[in-house]
Amino acid sequence: MLVLHLTVANLKMILRNRQALFWALAFPLVFVFVFAMIGSFSRSSAVTVGVVDRAKDDASRQLLSGLDAFDVVMRDDEAQARLDARSGDLGYLLIVPERLASLARDAPPASVTLVYEEGRQGAVALAVERALARMDLALAGVSPKFALNTESLASDDLSFAQLALPGLVLWGIMSNSIIGMAVVLANYREKKIFRRIKVSPMRARTFFAAQVMAYLALSLAQAAAIFGIGAAVMRVDLSGNLLAIGLLIVACNIVFLNLGFIVGAFSKTAAAASGLGNLVVLPMVMMSGVFFPLDVLPRIVAAVTRFLPLSPMVEALRGVAIGSKALSDFPLEIALIAAWLALTSMIAVRIFKFE
Amino acid sequence: MADVARVESLTKRYGDLLAVDDVSFSVREGEVFGILGPNGAGKTTTLECIEGLVTPTAGAISVLGMDAARDADAVKRRIGVQLQASAYFDYLTLTEILDLFARIYDCAAASADLLRSVGLVDSAGATMEKLSGGQRQRFTIAAALVNDPDLVFLDEPTAGLDPQARRSLWDLVSAMAQDGRTVIMTTHYIEEAESLCDRVAIMDRGRIVALDTPRNLVRSMSDPHRITLALDGVCGADGLRALRSVTDVTAGDDGAFVLRSSDPTETVPALTRWLAESGFALTRLEIDTDTLEDAFLALTGRELRE
Repeated sequence: MLVLHLTVANLKMILRNRQALFWALAFPLVFVFVFAMIGSFSRSSAVTVGVVDRAKDDASRQLLSGLDAFDVVMRDDEAQARLDARSGDLGYLLIVPERLASLARDAPPASVTLVYEEGRQGAVALAVERALARMDLALAGVSPKFALNTESLASDDLSFAQLALPGLVLWGIMSNSIIGMAVVLANYREKKIFRRIKVSPMRARTFFAAQVMAYLALSLAQAAAIFGIGAAVMRVDLSGNLLAIGLLIVACNIVFLNLGFIVGAFSKTAAAASGLGNLVVLPMVMMSGVFFPLDVLPRIVAAVTRFLPLSPMVEALRGVAIGSKALSDFPLEIALIAAWLALTSMIAVRIFKFE
Repeated sequence: MADVARVESLTKRYGDLLAVDDVSFSVREGEVFGILGPNGAGKTTTLECIEGLVTPTAGAISVLGMDAARDADAVKRRIGVQLQASAYFDYLTLTEILDLFARIYDCAAASADLLRSVGLVDSAGATMEKLSGGQRQRFTIAAALVNDPDLVFLDEPTAGLDPQARRSLWDLVSAMAQDGRTVIMTTHYIEEAESLCDRVAIMDRGRIVALDTPRNLVRSMSDPHRITLALDGVCGADGLRALRSVTDVTAGDDGAFVLRSSDPTETVPALTRWLAESGFALTRLEIDTDTLEDAFLALTGRELRE
């Protein structure tokens, strides 16, 4: 079969172009690492609790055990600790007076102080209150009759990194497929390889199919690598169905390759193909929810960008790969992707010539 | 002999530019047919119309008994094409490129034999970028022969090559003719057309101004022979002008005379008689015949230079 032979030849050419191959992988991975760093930075700064413990008795130890879930830093210098809380280096500052246990017994109520930025609410203040209430009950010799169980909603409560990873995967295969394909076609045109093919009996559809198959294989490998490395570095749990993820990526990538064919058809030189390809890729990356949710865009802009090919892809891949949803949960997105698939295929096949 | 290609009233217009203007000729089986002309004469456009790369504005072309436009696919299987300045895939070896093209033509891959025939067997595992200019041209010839074609098109096969590389390419073209293939080639080198081609069409400004064997093209000129002589004394040109078949006498360098003759076999005996009668002796005598370059100059009114 000529088409298979040609696909293998195309893959050889792709794999032997080491520099292009390296950047196809390295570029999205650089962003994986950057996003992983941003993610870990925001997590640690949110929950640092400074504690000035003057009591160091049973009561203070009991109180502090209630803060196990947080990043607790013991401080001696109250003045300095207050400055750090004011500057934001400490998220919260808990001040425990001397002889806490005896104060509670002899001159109740014994009060502790929690310093935090106005408007900042949350888990730390609640935890301190709960610990104090428990200590009250214990002191009164009453065993608790009610208890609060907390459950965090892991599947809905997605971190920034988790949200970003599917978008980074799509961005990686998209830029490689659109720009890579367009540059190859323009290069064939510039070097008159197309003319040489045109005087041979090869059919345009054979050439087309072999290009698409070679780039699909590359994109699947690329997606697996970015997903794999990203999941490890960002500590993302990839709980989705691999078959659904694969199908979605294949469908998305054919749209990208069609766009690459279209860009390539309009580019006289490889340099022009690279520029025009970026013109197609960059606005989609910016406006399709890869880096930030569509909700933050002005309503009119969002209404338009929602229909760009990348937007439904990011939405569906995010749900299927990270949120453990099924493809059937995204009927609108799948319909949009199918529409883009049909439209771009039609244009690409019609526009492509060995010229 | 049968006509392998026939071109009738071929015209190709690009906007206002008339690249090929009502050109007709036919190419016989087994011959090396040359299209000679300066850059921009329409040689490549003519060739690409026959190859099926360019759609003619008007005219009919038949190749190997088939209509070039209607049976384009069948024609492509039986012709071999070397395009001017065309490259091949960057990241494939010579063997891989030839194997791929063998698949495209659905024929058995004989890459080793092809590379041996063009002297590139040692570069079989190399990529195109590792080859010199002459090696590249030889490789494009090998690639044009992948499908064992009956008719081979070569578009300026030696353009930009040094003399040695050019000679080695000529040998390849001669070998093709010996294998019984018909070759249609363009060139703007006179000596290439003279030494390689059985027949030459001289093209200028989109038209064919002459078509014949190189020898007949020269012979068809009115007085293609030149006799240069010098005498041991001083005399006028009138006696020489009166000699048989002499059409013109001009002064050469160092007091020599240059006679234009339509037939030296008549002029030379007459010259001998005249020398005996007049008492002069020859101090110098050269007889030569114009080249294709002179014929080209006479036909087109301009020199053939890059």
